Amino acid sequence: MTDLKPRIGLVGAGGIASAHLPGLLRSGGTVSVFSEEYAPAFRNNDRIRIASSLEELIEWADILDVATPTNTHHGIVKQALSVGKDVICEKPLALTEEDAAELVSLAERNNLRLFPAHVVRYYPAYRELKRAVDAGSLGELAVMRFVRSGAFPQQPWFADTSRSGGVVGDLMIHDLDMARWLAGDVVRVSAVRHRTESAGHPLEAAHVLLTHASGTITHVAGLWGASDLHFTTEFSVTGTLGSLTYSSRAEENYATDPDHLTADANFLPPRDEDDDDPYAREIQDFISARQGSSTPRVSSRDGLEAVRIAVAAMTSIESGQPVELARQ
Amino acid sequence: MKIAIMSFAHTHAAGYIHLLQATPGIELKGADPGPHPRGEVRGCRLADTLGVAYVPDYDELLAWGPDAVIVTSENRRHREHVEMAAETGADILCEKPLATTWEDGLAMREAVARHGVRLMMAFPVRFASTFTRLRREYEAGLLGTVFAIRGANNGTLPTTRTWFTEPALSGGGALVDHVVHIADLIDALLGVAPQRVTATTNRILHSHRARAETAGLVTIEYADGTIAAVDCSWSEADTSPVWGDVRMSVAGTSGTVDIDFFGPAVRGLDSSTGKPAVRRYGQDFDKTMLTSFLDSVRTGSPMEPSIDVGLRTLSIVVAAQESARTGRTVEVHPLKP
Repeated sequence: MTDLKPRIGLVGAGGIASAHLPGLLRSGGTVSVFSEEYAPAFRNNDRIRIASSLEELIEWADILDVATPTNTHHGIVKQALSVGKDVICEKPLALTEEDAAELVSLAERNNLRLFPAHVVRYYPAYRELKRAVDAGSLGELAVMRFVRSGAFPQQPWFADTSRSGGVVGDLMIHDLDMARWLAGDVVRVSAVRHRTESAGHPLEAAHVLLTHASGTITHVAGLWGASDLHFTTEFSVTGTLGSLTYSSRAEENYATDPDHLTADANFLPPRDEDDDDPYAREIQDFISARQGSSTPRVSSRDGLEAVRIAVAAMTSIESGQPVELARQ
Repeated sequence: MKIAIMSFAHTHAAGYIHLLQATPGIELKGADPGPHPRGEVRGCRLADTLGVAYVPDYDELLAWGPDAVIVTSENRRHREHVEMAAETGADILCEKPLATTWEDGLAMREAVARHGVRLMMAFPVRFASTFTRLRREYEAGLLGTVFAIRGANNGTLPTTRTWFTEPALSGGGALVDHVVHIADLIDALLGVAPQRVTATTNRILHSHRARAETAGLVTIEYADGTIAAVDCSWSEADTSPVWGDVRMSVAGTSGTVDIDFFGPAVRGLDSSTGKPAVRRYGQDFDKTMLTSFLDSVRTGSPMEPSIDVGLRTLSIVVAAQESARTGRTVEVHPLKP
């Protein structure tokens, strides 16, 4: 299990799989992929073997990297864990708390590793925030705001909440996880959401309020907006000793005039792919932890807790009332 | 035009007096009867410092026959002072929030209507040129339909006046102080009624001085489905080079607009302390607001933001306070015409 050149089976070859790919190829392992459709990065790429079926891929792999639509995570991850394979799973682990909990306990029972790919923990600005909080630089955390905003994703399955979890389950879960990572367990969740459309283009926005056991309060805003929106993220965190704020747009250090000299809007937050690719870092963290029997930055329990908070937010949207979360 | 200032309790009183002193054709008189908290320059002393005519009590001030009255007392006393001013037949500019309870707000509306006077709410941020531009571009269809908004009105813990942090006089903490500005902007932009409010608060910041919440987050659901979130926290550090800020982000079906109302500044560093230097240079919204008020008093043109805006924004505050207390989402008081 601690081989230095693991065989990594990538399931899915769409947007997130394309983001994982450079990190997988740089990890020292060999990569094989299976998907129903293949994004350009996977076509005629002689560094990647195309598997003939999901079963064949799971059989071949030491580690499965599941980067498929969310509603398929549970089935595929369960299949891999059942036959003794470690798993990297794109967030969220599953659409329901029960499904996520089943995967976590299955991994624990079989002594396997299950790594939920909450990549925002590996984005440099968010990593700096975590370091500052852990070092006590901000004192006791009082109030936090997170924003994640971009165009509504083009792949049709995102518009189907029963497959994607919608803006809360797919997009905002990044910041729900960050909030818990920074300020600890959440005891109350409330949320409001507005879905609409414009000329056949879906739009969805939500606001989630969290009350942490520590007393800290958090606002997470998510927007899947107009088709030509840039992807941007922001945070503002204030404690008794100081505050840190971030805006991805304000921190851009490559500006062009006219704007169109820059490549088109991306569905992922801006990142430095050459120097500090957060996707490569999360994969490297998992593979190193696997080799050294250490703990990666994100545990399977973290992935489960993120699902619990997101599901509570969706429950609050449906019921129109805040949801109390039992302490774990 | 004769303008009376009722109370110097709110720090904005001095700012309004400065601006009105620079306005031709204005006669000013103020009253700020005590007792005043120790250590605060108020009453006759403050009037002398500001160079404004002073009388010792409100009866004498109102007997002067002002054309308009500016109420800048402690939040809890707005009702009493607005009722006194309305009785004299003067138009009123009322510092925000309108009141601290829904009953007080309704009574003020009734008093204003009964005496045939008008009340304008002192919500200066809607007079920002950036907000005027947003309204214009929204009305021209550039944003499509607005469906989600977020706003933040953060500031330092008010310290120049002790009453801001005494709930008996202020009506609460950060919720009562800072929710209304963003609520007013949304009201002006969308013109739809707020329906449901959820809030969570704490008093982690300034805990040794806090007698009410110092941080608060609020979500609001509007009648047309629009959702909004407001951060009203007193989360600007005492040591900050600026008092705080007001920001708003509006998401429409065609795109988003972000406004940082107090953003424009020249920035640098104080090399002796290493502290950031921020010299803001933006528009003075108070000045534009006062000009609008004086025009309305003079010409009889409608006053916006009206007392109904004051009530709708108050309905959000009292619902947010109840939500923070109960942990439940709360229906706001509907405003009957």
